[in-house]
Amino acid sequence: MIRLLSLAWKQLIRYRLRTILTVLGVASGMFLFMAVETLQDSLAEATEQTAADTTLVVYRENRFCPNTSRLPEYYADEIRQIPGVREVIPIQIVVNNCGASLDVITFRGVPDGLLRKFAPEIEVVSGDISEWERRDDGALLGEQFARRRGLHPGDRFDAVGVTVHVAGIIQSPFAQDNNVAYVKLPFLQQASRAGLGVVTQFNVRVNSSADLKPVAEAIDLRFKSDQQPTNTRPEKAFFAETASQLIELIGFTRWLALGAVLAVIALVANSILLVVRGRVKENAVLRTLGYPARAILFLVMSEGGMLGLLGGVLGTGLAWTFLRWQSFTLGSEGHTLAVIPEFQTAVNAIAAALLLGVVASILPALQAIQQPIVKSLRG
Amino acid sequence: MSLISCRALSKSYRKGPNLVTPLSALDLEVPQGEFLALMGPSGSGKTTLLNLIAGIDSPTSGELLINGQDISKLSRRELTRWRASSVGYIFQLYHLVPVLSAFENVELPLLLTKLSRRDRRAKVSAALELVDLADRADHTPAELSGGQEQRVAIARSLVTNPALLVADEPTGDLDRESANRILDLLRSLTRDHGKTIVMVTHDPTAAAAADRVLHLEKGVLLETAPGPHP
Repeated sequence: MIRLLSLAWKQLIRYRLRTILTVLGVASGMFLFMAVETLQDSLAEATEQTAADTTLVVYRENRFCPNTSRLPEYYADEIRQIPGVREVIPIQIVVNNCGASLDVITFRGVPDGLLRKFAPEIEVVSGDISEWERRDDGALLGEQFARRRGLHPGDRFDAVGVTVHVAGIIQSPFAQDNNVAYVKLPFLQQASRAGLGVVTQFNVRVNSSADLKPVAEAIDLRFKSDQQPTNTRPEKAFFAETASQLIELIGFTRWLALGAVLAVIALVANSILLVVRGRVKENAVLRTLGYPARAILFLVMSEGGMLGLLGGVLGTGLAWTFLRWQSFTLGSEGHTLAVIPEFQTAVNAIAAALLLGVVASILPALQAIQQPIVKSLRG
Repeated sequence: MSLISCRALSKSYRKGPNLVTPLSALDLEVPQGEFLALMGPSGSGKTTLLNLIAGIDSPTSGELLINGQDISKLSRRELTRWRASSVGYIFQLYHLVPVLSAFENVELPLLLTKLSRRDRRAKVSAALELVDLADRADHTPAELSGGQEQRVAIARSLVTNPALLVADEPTGDLDRESANRILDLLRSLTRDHGKTIVMVTHDPTAAAAADRVLHLEKGVLLETAPGPHP
């Protein structure tokens, strides 16, 4: 088998121009496929709830943008009284753009000393957390955010009328945290002119995922007749609802991925079909030499598989590099979706390319062995 | 003892509404180590007979024994295996794989065997030595003359050491000098290596190199003429 693979490889590398053109075509398709799959995976990660999710988001009823959700900060004390609630964190969110955007700047203001409770997973990878604690205008930037904006500890930057000092860069297993700037709540309330005592939302941690629904209902019931009624949902459902248009748009990209897959199949099939037609006599000679039909099938299909694999590695690699380098963050209604390629997605895309190459060459391979040897030799 | 025995061998196929019978109840014995030339006009059935003997086509009826084995009874898979080990085919137009070197072309039949890389290398080198092309092992077909290409093709047919070689107009595309060299090579293969060769040719000069010449006309053996090399 290895000898036949080596023979197929020699055919590929010695018909260089044909191989390069086909591989480039496959790579283009797989680039698109990888980009779409990354988008879909990022969306799934942001919206699909798991049993480990225990966070609720309390938002102003009938409001979708952080700029219009204004809740009294004292609600936090009342929410804490509700059974099943473990922690309540008032958060002020300031964004540069509530519409759909590829470059969203989000400030999250959390009360002094509560950052570790709000996001215990974050890790300071550069800079100094004590500087953040010391300075009123200190900001901890998510690593994606910092990379996208080219910011480093010690820098100052201004956005949405808020000027901050970069105290450190943070890293988190949650994509959302890597795309925001954490600042202190009172600072953000004043800098954004929302005013002290007013927050955008409350993040509520409950004891277990079974408490999500009853606690959400209890919170909304408590403030139903208040001046600022609330709408409480699990964090991921909250994202899924507020960014529904964005999600619909991303859902449409599935068709692009399907188109890319079909294009790859058609390209490899066409290329292999031309190869088979050009090698009718060559294959007949191999059969005359005693090559069994399955060896010819294997040769043709491994050539298709190699074309798919090479194009897959190239296209996926380029997409990976491009998406990592650009650090795209899709935003809508103040919620961000970081488009970060995963290793597993890349492996899947390369495996898919290999499979597509093999599948695309099945028909040409069958064609290569069906014609009688004598007829093929006469050509 | 006969290496090839054809008994009442017939081949028919349909071409549109007509039944074509290129070979009809042909009887033939070819002793081991003989160099046999088949001559005849186009359409006389000589290439059909050659293809049957080489196991790349199947007779409609009759027996075709090669080395005592009736290859007309073999399954497709068995026939493929038999071809790999028992017969070498030399084509008029050489049919070398253009992107492979002379060495790699000769090595092709051995890729199906369980021989180690070293053993394959030794066999390919010996075959190229035999056709006097050891110094052209790394050349691709495009870098060889027609005569050299045909010698590479002969080396490829020999590399598995089959008892039988079949050649379809092996000198038909060559100039006289190259053709003579090929014929000398084929003769030496029968004389020095005991190979049995069946060669189809239109060329009386080429046929003269054979031990025996058979004429076919409309699928029937008409005449047996002894060659000049008994």
